[in-house]
Amino acid sequence: MVIAIGFEGSANKLGIGIMKDGVVLANPRHTYITPPGQGFLPRDTAKHHQAHALDVLQEALDEAKIKPEDIDVICYTKGPGMGAPLVSTAIVARTVAQLWQKPILGVNHCIGHIEMGRLITGADNPTVLYVSGGNTQVIAYLEQRYRIFGETIDIAVGNCLDRFARVLKLSNDPSPGYNIEQLAKKGNKFLELPYAVKGMDVSFSGLLSYIEEKAPGLIESGEYTPEDLCFSLQETVFAMLIEITERAMAHCGSQEVLIVGGVGCNQRLQEMMGIMAEERGAKLYATDDRFCIDNGAMIAQAGWEMFRTGQTTPLQETTCTQRFRTDEVEVTWRS
Amino acid sequence: MDNSATNSEPLVVDLSIPFPTSREAEIAYGTLSVDAEPKRSSVKKTVVHKDNMLHIHFESNDARFLRVSVNTFFDHLGLVVQTMERFGPPRLK
Ligand SMILES: Nc1ncnc2c1ncn2[C@@H]1O[C@H](COP(=O)(O)OP(=O)(O)OP(=O)(O)O)[C@@H](O)[C@H]1O
Ligand SMILES: [Mg+2]
Repeated sequence: MVIAIGFEGSANKLGIGIMKDGVVLANPRHTYITPPGQGFLPRDTAKHHQAHALDVLQEALDEAKIKPEDIDVICYTKGPGMGAPLVSTAIVARTVAQLWQKPILGVNHCIGHIEMGRLITGADNPTVLYVSGGNTQVIAYLEQRYRIFGETIDIAVGNCLDRFARVLKLSNDPSPGYNIEQLAKKGNKFLELPYAVKGMDVSFSGLLSYIEEKAPGLIESGEYTPEDLCFSLQETVFAMLIEITERAMAHCGSQEVLIVGGVGCNQRLQEMMGIMAEERGAKLYATDDRFCIDNGAMIAQAGWEMFRTGQTTPLQETTCTQRFRTDEVEVTWRS
Repeated sequence: MDNSATNSEPLVVDLSIPFPTSREAEIAYGTLSVDAEPKRSSVKKTVVHKDNMLHIHFESNDARFLRVSVNTFFDHLGLVVQTMERFGPPRLK
């Protein structure tokens, strides 16, 4: 029996989760919500994490009904993400690791998303679409690496949604992407937007500039409603994502597709992916906001897998890094 | 860099922080000595632990970078101390 605790704070969510051999014992999270129209800045986000980390930690221990003594390994997000929030979270992890005399382990955030998705859905060897505020990648496992088959060449799809939500001054609670999704359900007039798939890669920045520039005029003239624009944006960017995912599945001969990352809890994205998968005779695996959105359990789960194969990180090497590619990690726990 | 000192003598800040025990000072050292200063910062920071004391030396030619570095350090130190208060005391080795 191995109990792992995971500390996640790479963006605006501070999450601490506890995993016991594939079972989620606790997974509380506290999100830094900025006013409509505003993104989150590194320094303010770090302050948020500093203010809430210890309460969330207590909540996790209480909910899991365990004592620090019961924990086998402390896992924290090493990167990728925003520097100051990552470090603030790692500081708590390092301190409790020493207080409690436990080994510590730095985890790649993207690997956390993938391993949590595999665990929760039971997908064995899926093609993975990882879509969040900071990342957009199509990934497949091959010989001890999660290889990136396709990715965004500029901004992440979640970032594109979030920035458009700012233009519309939508609430950031619980997330801008969620509120775009709610409006999109009521939209029906489709606005043609620049569609940019380049081989296995996608690009969103041209599309975003286009809609950012057009939106105020189109809404003011009454030609399109904000709902129509959210609908059009979602349909377009999701179609691009499905196209590159399908290409990777064809290339790998894959019969499974897994969606992870915050944008992955979008019902419309799941529906579109489900249709594509069915046409290919493949199966779709997806989760909900508890595990799609950044959380501590996913870091604990990836750390649990790493720890199982004998990995730990010497304290002096428990640094954080803003850039940390998914394919840099040697996947020692899969055959 | 208008408001920064540009003389050849660097600006220096020295802090000495006492902890209840030497073990706690050692843990704070373990946590706070890991991170390098941000790349764009010109601050040189050294952390030393002796008995129940933590000694931190900051050095820079740029007053603003120095201030940011010291402020960040205090934020991090505060977090370490609070973590010790709520989740300590240190378990025996
Ligand atoms: N229902 C939804 N529909 C679309 N997007 C959503 C939805 N819910 C959340 N999102 C988006 O997901 C993103 C957040 O994803 P996630 O929690 O994985 O964190 P992140 O900070 O982007 O992390 P990283 O990029 O490092 O994985 C935000 O862009 C948010 O708007
Ligand atoms: Mg994420």
